[in-house]
Amino acid sequence: MSTKHELATAAADAGPIGYDDHVEQSRQAQRHADKWMISGTILMGTAILGIFGLPLFLRGLFLQRKAQRAGLSVRPIIVTLIGYMVMLDGALNTFGWAVDLFASHTYVSRIFMPTWGNMFDGGYFWHYNELAVGGAGAPGEKAWEVLGIFIVFPMRIAACIGFLQMKRWGHQWMVVTCWTGLLMWMGYVANMTVYADIRFASVVFPVVGWWVYNIFYITPFLSTPYLHTDNREIFSD
Amino acid sequence: MSSTSTEGLQLGTSPEYSRMHTIIRRVCYVLLFGLVIEGALTFPLLAIWYGVPTLTPAQVCDELQKVMYSDESRTCKSHGLDSPPLGGPAEAQGQDTARDTWRVQPTPLYPRIGFRELVKNKREREARERSAGNNADTEPSKKPAK
Repeated sequence: MSTKHELATAAADAGPIGYDDHVEQSRQAQRHADKWMISGTILMGTAILGIFGLPLFLRGLFLQRKAQRAGLSVRPIIVTLIGYMVMLDGALNTFGWAVDLFASHTYVSRIFMPTWGNMFDGGYFWHYNELAVGGAGAPGEKAWEVLGIFIVFPMRIAACIGFLQMKRWGHQWMVVTCWTGLLMWMGYVANMTVYADIRFASVVFPVVGWWVYNIFYITPFLSTPYLHTDNREIFSD
Repeated sequence: MSSTSTEGLQLGTSPEYSRMHTIIRRVCYVLLFGLVIEGALTFPLLAIWYGVPTLTPAQVCDELQKVMYSDESRTCKSHGLDSPPLGGPAEAQGQDTARDTWRVQPTPLYPRIGFRELVKNKREREARERSAGNNADTEPSKKPAK
């Protein structure tokens, strides 16, 4: 059975076509690839089901690359990767911190958070749930959670939607949110360092373990050099 | 690459930045695979390290509480909606067994938990309890003998 994408690719290979046809075929090919990538990202956003989401995402990426090679006007691969990765970063962080901020007294949270905390970050183990609002008791942690959940991550996910749609506002907000990511990393790591005794004393994999676990979340500020060196004209108003 | 040709370049990438963009794209792939592998392995790693399936997740939670507060009577309980912040006493209110060095930068003094150490903790505690129970059982039986 021919997919829309294959039809579009075949049509692109068939020879010269009108501008409107090209735009329509490109749109269809992009949409088809995005359906795979969105499904994959949703599964990857759950963390534990990510292993099933990755093949779907890669399939979408492959379709987009194929369309690009067939001459269709689809999004550059790097824009797609950055857009989805930054969105995934926002989604994964929102999930973990929202559970700690709003659902810290649930059984699942009581089991998972201190267990994870004992392994990588004592802030989620030390006197867990003793604050009036519950959850992680490490000094400053709740402030970062509120900032992330209410400001940075929603802004980041909204920016990603605009960025993936190749909108100028998406690019602009991506710049803002990626710099905010840098601020959060610097502030967060400084806070952890100041209270290192709480965060890392008697933790199973302290400091290096934390870095190994969290280094994969650096996409937001890895993207910053790209956002300042690409041709912004490809992002339309 | 010193060529200024735009042939083969991604849309939006100029020749002078093509190398940097390629590196960023490749690192993105590494991060993507890293996030996914990490997401898939975190729960199994935690479960195996802390004693599942010998212990149920709820028992792991119990054992962690005992380490957290250095108190073998602590258990892991969930609370209703009237618990903090909506009402009721704060968690562990009145519990003063947790060992910390209290100062402007507190230092926790609980021990590091080794691989499947919670299983060992539970078995040793239960053995102690059994032994204490046996002693308690034998004591009354001795009484009639006297």
